[in-house]
Amino acid sequence: MAEERVVGVGAGAAGFGGYDRGGGEPGGLATQDMVLNIGPQHPATHGVLRLRITLDGERIVGCEPIVGYMHRGVEKLFEVRDYRQIIVLANRHDWLSAFSSELGVVMAVERMLGMEVPERAVWARTLLAEMNRALNHLMFLGSYPIELGAITPIFYAFRERETLQQVMEEISGGRMHYMFNRVGGLKEDLPAGWLDRASAAVAAVRRRVPQIEDLIFGNEIFLARTRGVGTISPELISAYGVSGPIARASGVDFDLRRDEPYLAYPELAEEGVLRVTTGEDGDCHSRFGMLLEQVSVSLDLADACIARLRSLPQGPINQRLPKILKAPEGATYCWTENPLGINGYYLVSRGEKTPWRLKLRSASFNNIAVLPEVLRGCVVADMIAILGSMFFVVGDIDK
Amino acid sequence: MSSWGSGLIRGLRVTWQNLARRSVTAQYPDAPPELPPRSRGVIALFEENCTVCMLCARECPCWCIYIDSHKEAVPPVEEGARERSTNVLDRFAIDYSLCMYCGICIEACPFDALEWSPEFEYAELDIRDLTHEKDRLREWMWTVPAPPGLDPAAAEPKEIATAQKAAEKAAAASQGQAAEETRDDGGGS
Repeated sequence: MAEERVVGVGAGAAGFGGYDRGGGEPGGLATQDMVLNIGPQHPATHGVLRLRITLDGERIVGCEPIVGYMHRGVEKLFEVRDYRQIIVLANRHDWLSAFSSELGVVMAVERMLGMEVPERAVWARTLLAEMNRALNHLMFLGSYPIELGAITPIFYAFRERETLQQVMEEISGGRMHYMFNRVGGLKEDLPAGWLDRASAAVAAVRRRVPQIEDLIFGNEIFLARTRGVGTISPELISAYGVSGPIARASGVDFDLRRDEPYLAYPELAEEGVLRVTTGEDGDCHSRFGMLLEQVSVSLDLADACIARLRSLPQGPINQRLPKILKAPEGATYCWTENPLGINGYYLVSRGEKTPWRLKLRSASFNNIAVLPEVLRGCVVADMIAILGSMFFVVGDIDK
Repeated sequence: MSSWGSGLIRGLRVTWQNLARRSVTAQYPDAPPELPPRSRGVIALFEENCTVCMLCARECPCWCIYIDSHKEAVPPVEEGARERSTNVLDRFAIDYSLCMYCGICIEACPFDALEWSPEFEYAELDIRDLTHEKDRLREWMWTVPAPPGLDPAAAEPKEIATAQKAAEKAAAASQGQAAEETRDDGGGS
C-alpha cells in the first residue's frame, strides 16, 4: 500500500488542522537536494540579504547567509572623518535606530575626553533614545505581519510611527537620520512647547498600540505560523552573541540599560520605570510579543524623561567645544542597548582629530549569524516567519 | 484558553472601530505636509554673507560643495591708504545627489551664509540638475522659516549673557561714580 502524503506548499503550509509541516517525516522518499537562493532581492529580506538554502523537499537541511551586498566600508570611513562627521555615518548603518547609534559614538568620545554632559542633555538624550526605540519596534511590529501575509497591521504601526516621527522631526529636523547628537550634548535646545507635544504624542501612541496587539497578536493564523516556530535556546543565544529583544525572548535576562547603565537609566531603573521583560519560549511568537512589551516600557520611560525635563532647572544642553576636537591617546569600548541589541564602538585614538580605529559591533550581524542553526530542519514556509522575526536591518549587518 | 477564532474576532473588532473613524492619510500633492522650521529639506545660500572662507566645503563629509572665487582689488577708502583685496564668489554649488543632509556646512559657516529650508520638492529627471548653482540656492533663501523659540529651561543665548554682563558693569561703574560724586559733595559743603 502506498502511503498517502500531504505536502504543504507556500503560505498555507503552516501545519493547519492536523497536517504535518513540510510533507511528513524527513527521509520518507528518496529526494534530491536543491539549492535555493533567497535574495539578495527577495522582499522578505528587507534589503539585500542573501540566504543560500539547501532543501530536501520542503525541508531546509542547510542555510548559509551570504552578507556584504550592502557593505559600505563604514569602519574605514570612520578613520578619515572627524568626530562630528562620524555621527553622519554612525546614524546610517542601522537606519531604524539612528539616534541610539549616534549615542554610542559621542559617549565613547566623551569618555575619552572625560567630558561631563549637562544634566538636561542626559535626560533629553534618554528621551529621544527611547522614542527611537519605540519607532524601531513599531516598524517591525508592522513589517513582520506583512511577511506572514497580514497586511493591515502596518497601517496601524505607521500611524503610530508618524505621530512619533513628527515630534522627532520637530526637534532634530530629520525623520530618520536625526544627526542631533554632538560630543558634549545635543545640537540645539528643545523648541518651545515641544515637551507638551512630545508628551501628547507618547500618550496617543500608548492609547493606540493595543490595537496592533488586538489585531494580530492573538490571531489564530498568526499563532499557527509563529508559535513553536524557530525556537532559539539560551545556549544558542550565548554561543552566537545574540542580543536585544531576541535574546530576551529566549529568557536571557540581559539588558545594558540595567546591567551597565548609561545616560539616565540608573535613576530610571531605581524608580522602577525601566522594566526588563523576558520571554520563555524563544519562538517567533515570543519575539514579536517582546517588541510589544518593549514599546510600552519605552513609552513609560519617555514619559518619565519628559516629567524630569520639565522639573530640571534652566541650563545648557551642550558643551562649548574647541574648533578642532581631538580625543586623547588611548582606547575605550562603549556599548549601548540599541533597539535591535548590543551596539558597541571600540574607539582607538592616537590623539588625532580622527580616530585611529573605530570598530563597530552591530547587533544585526550577530543576530543573523544564528540563522543556520535555527533554520536547519524547518520548512520553507517557516523560513520567512523565522527570518522576519530576527528583526534585523541589512545596513547593520553589512555596515 | 479562549475558543478558536476569538483572536480573529478581536482583530476584526479593531477594524470595525477604525472603519468609522476619519482617515489619517494625507493625500500628499493635494494636501502639502506641514513641516517644522528645523526640517532639513534644502540648503539655501545668502551670497552676501559668504566670504569664500571654504569652511563649509572642507567640513562637508561628502565633498558636495563646489566653490570658485577670485581676488579683486578694492580702492582705498582713505587717501594714502593701501589698496585692499577681497574674495569674490564666482561659483557656489551644492550637488544634492551627493549631499547627506547632515547640516555640518550650516553649522560650520561662521557668517550665517547657509540656512536650512524645509522645501523638498526639487526632484529631477536628470541627475545633473540636482547640482544647484548659487542663483538657485539663493531662491531657497526666501523659503527659510524663522527658527522656533526655545524651551523656557534652555540656557540663555551667549549674546544676552554678554549684554547683561556689560550692563551690570556699566551700572556698577555709574553707581560708583555717583557715590564718589556724593562724597565729593559732602566734602565740599
